[in-house]
Amino acid sequence: MSSGVHGLTAMDASIIIQIALGGILLGGLYALVAFGLSLIYGVARILNFAHGTLLAVGGVAASGIFAATAWNPLFIMLLLIPVLAVFGYVFYDQLLQPLTKRNHFEYTVGSVLVTVGALLILSDVAAWIAGPAPRNIPLRFDAMEFGNVIVSTTQAWILGGIVVFTVALHVFIKKSWFGRAMRAVTQDHTGATICGVKADRVHALTFAFGSGIVAIAAVLYAMLFPVDPYIGFALTVKAFTIIILGGIGNLVGALLAGIFLGLAEGFTSFFWATQWAPAISIVLLLVILVIFPQGFGRRKTT
Amino acid sequence: MTNMRYWLAGAFVLAALLFVPTSGSTYTTTLLFTMLISYALAQSWDWVGGEAGYINLAHFAFYGIGAYGFCLSLLNGVPIVLCFVIAVAVTTTVALIVSFPLFRLRGDYFAFATLAMLPLTELLAFNFDFTGGADGVVLPPNYVLFEAYYIAVGLVGITAVVTIWLIRTRFGYALKAIRNDEEAAEISGVRIFPAKARVLVLSAAFASVAGALQGWQLSYIDPTTVFGLDVALIPIAMALLGGSGLLWGAVVGVIILSLFNQLLIVSLPILQTAIFGLLLLLIGRYMPGGLLRSSIVRNSKWIGFLGREHDRFVAATANSPATSGLPLPKLTSEPGKPVLECRNVTMAFGGNVAVDNVSLTINAGEIVGLVGTNGSGKTTLFNCISKVFEQKSGEIVFLGQDLAGARRDDASRLGIGRTYQIPRPFSDLTVVENIAMPLMNRGEGSETPADALGVATRFAAYVGLTDHLSARADSLNLQQKKALELARALACRPRLLLVDEVASGLTPVEVRNFVDHIRELRDEYGITIIWVEHIFSALAQVVDRVIVLEQGSIIADGPLDDVVRDKRVLSTYLGSAAPVEA
Repeated sequence: MSSGVHGLTAMDASIIIQIALGGILLGGLYALVAFGLSLIYGVARILNFAHGTLLAVGGVAASGIFAATAWNPLFIMLLLIPVLAVFGYVFYDQLLQPLTKRNHFEYTVGSVLVTVGALLILSDVAAWIAGPAPRNIPLRFDAMEFGNVIVSTTQAWILGGIVVFTVALHVFIKKSWFGRAMRAVTQDHTGATICGVKADRVHALTFAFGSGIVAIAAVLYAMLFPVDPYIGFALTVKAFTIIILGGIGNLVGALLAGIFLGLAEGFTSFFWATQWAPAISIVLLLVILVIFPQGFGRRKTT
Repeated sequence: MTNMRYWLAGAFVLAALLFVPTSGSTYTTTLLFTMLISYALAQSWDWVGGEAGYINLAHFAFYGIGAYGFCLSLLNGVPIVLCFVIAVAVTTTVALIVSFPLFRLRGDYFAFATLAMLPLTELLAFNFDFTGGADGVVLPPNYVLFEAYYIAVGLVGITAVVTIWLIRTRFGYALKAIRNDEEAAEISGVRIFPAKARVLVLSAAFASVAGALQGWQLSYIDPTTVFGLDVALIPIAMALLGGSGLLWGAVVGVIILSLFNQLLIVSLPILQTAIFGLLLLLIGRYMPGGLLRSSIVRNSKWIGFLGREHDRFVAATANSPATSGLPLPKLTSEPGKPVLECRNVTMAFGGNVAVDNVSLTINAGEIVGLVGTNGSGKTTLFNCISKVFEQKSGEIVFLGQDLAGARRDDASRLGIGRTYQIPRPFSDLTVVENIAMPLMNRGEGSETPADALGVATRFAAYVGLTDHLSARADSLNLQQKKALELARALACRPRLLLVDEVASGLTPVEVRNFVDHIRELRDEYGITIIWVEHIFSALAQVVDRVIVLEQGSIIADGPLDDVVRDKRVLSTYLGSAAPVEA
């Protein structure tokens, strides 16, 4: 990771490449978190503040399972996906859907309170059960060396996986029935309803879908970086920055925005100071919102 | 009389609070101190949240900045009074600066941007040297609980007074208008940005004093305790639990949540945050409108008054209008003198040209019908004239004054009144309050809110809403809402009235009544009128001439009889039985 190279004084190209790789990887994971949030916000117009926390809790759970069983992370991922998806469905269906019957102010306030409440509950309960200490999935593959640049096969696999997954997701949303329904509801809620799309069902399924993606991101994240129950909110902020930068519902835009953010953080840590890296996403978010009050590239729906 | 009783009761409660430190235990005093601080925070949050309708999740950042400003000043030997002044000055400056970017945002985006400010301030406090980093600021140990407590009682008193003051003032009404519909607020003459910035700065000032007091009393602050997410949401949760936008909402929310929190600290060593989160979740799920809006409270004989929406103005509405007719000046205008001139006005959305190089002149005392197929640019032209949109090119001159760069409220105050095709009343305000809004926002010479509410009844009578004066606007049916729109537009004291499709859906008798109104407005009050309408029979009764728009361009302009014989009009608008020759 980028902070590991601080001791070096020579800034040769290989270090830059190394940092860039780390940044791209981190950014790819941010993008995965942003995908689900983007779909959810687009469809249900709910700012799900608990979204990143789902990753934190999922990551803690995955590393706990790995520590106990040493199962293949891919298998753990397959276990977690349905669990989080069902959680997402029930969460929307039981707690948020009833709010849609209320007026706009109460809907906004209610959904903020419900998702923030869920955030606090999830992280506190996870910290109570698993402890607040950071943990990860300490699975290491062989490293590959290209000149001075060292790439672990873990990193390479994850990077490849993120790219393939983004493309697959993109195609799914373009071509499948569910993808079309989601896009229809995103663009015009009433119109979609009139055309026979069950909007409530699509909302809940989108929550399930978005939460399922988080399970994938959670396992990958825990393989690369330490996770603790409290990292969630920072991730949510980053995910929102990515959505606003890349356009709501625009997955390719989100991937590029995520990578941009990851790179920006990596290089800030290296060239300036590690403790300022978290400020990048927040400042970026505020700056973008100021320049584009309606959101950047909002009209694009891929 | 009743008002006096409330004031006395309030003063009594505050006086009683002053006796607590000397007669009660330290525990009681500390607990009450926390509650007083919480009330100041929750209530000041609600000025922005409940009154203006902006969910400001960064309120606690102002509290933290106040705490840091105060503690750092005190540490550097600044006299105590000056420390408070510095805390308030720094915080309000920050609030004023951030209000510029923040109020470009609406709804969710505003909520999110403010929430992102919280970790940013925390990070800044962590990373800067002068803030003491993660160690925070430690004041020399001084026992100041009593002093801090007395100041907190004063702060609460002022907070309560400001809250009551907000209900009845022009400023308070401006916030209520903003909460409902910013565009409608602007065309009613409300300057929205200064009102929003002022309320944010006001609430930040109170939050900063609360933070300063808390920091002083604890003699220790660090980034997590003053900027942390879980503590930051507590005052907001309090306001929402009680009932946002209600006079008693914050009071009730603070009492319940503070006591609950105490209980939690005493009885539960673990999972306190989770339980608090659960509470938030349940409030959000089951009563986002607040406890006091629940039917149990509302229907109760004893505590029902707690759930009352802000006192509706009753006195003025009780007096039915003594004189008939409108309280409008009779405009003397020389007929033939242009009121409105549009020169080569073009408006485009992306590549879609909605109004294309339109030039027209409307003379004083004219009633002009503006017709055209759907999408021909009629409403867009209205929007340009009332400055809802700034035209892409061309000039709009109103009474000899170029409107380039004018704001919507400028247009309204200059004398352009308009209605919307789909009515946009201030939904949660009453009929009189809706109509009073332009009356009290005309710049110099505006009525006071109380007078405006009285005068508004006469406008309401004119459009036939006398029986609905105290009804909420969203409880009206469509026709009543359209009547309300007309009354609100007339309350702008317009010289030019833009009427957008009022007659569709009315019965023939109602149409005739409306036409009589239009004629009377011109004949009696000298108001010039442009009327967008599809119903030709309605227009035919009153208009002097008709302008026909097609795909953003004027294709005919003249007396109705001539226009309806125009071949282009016939083919594009009215359609024709016979094929049209080229």
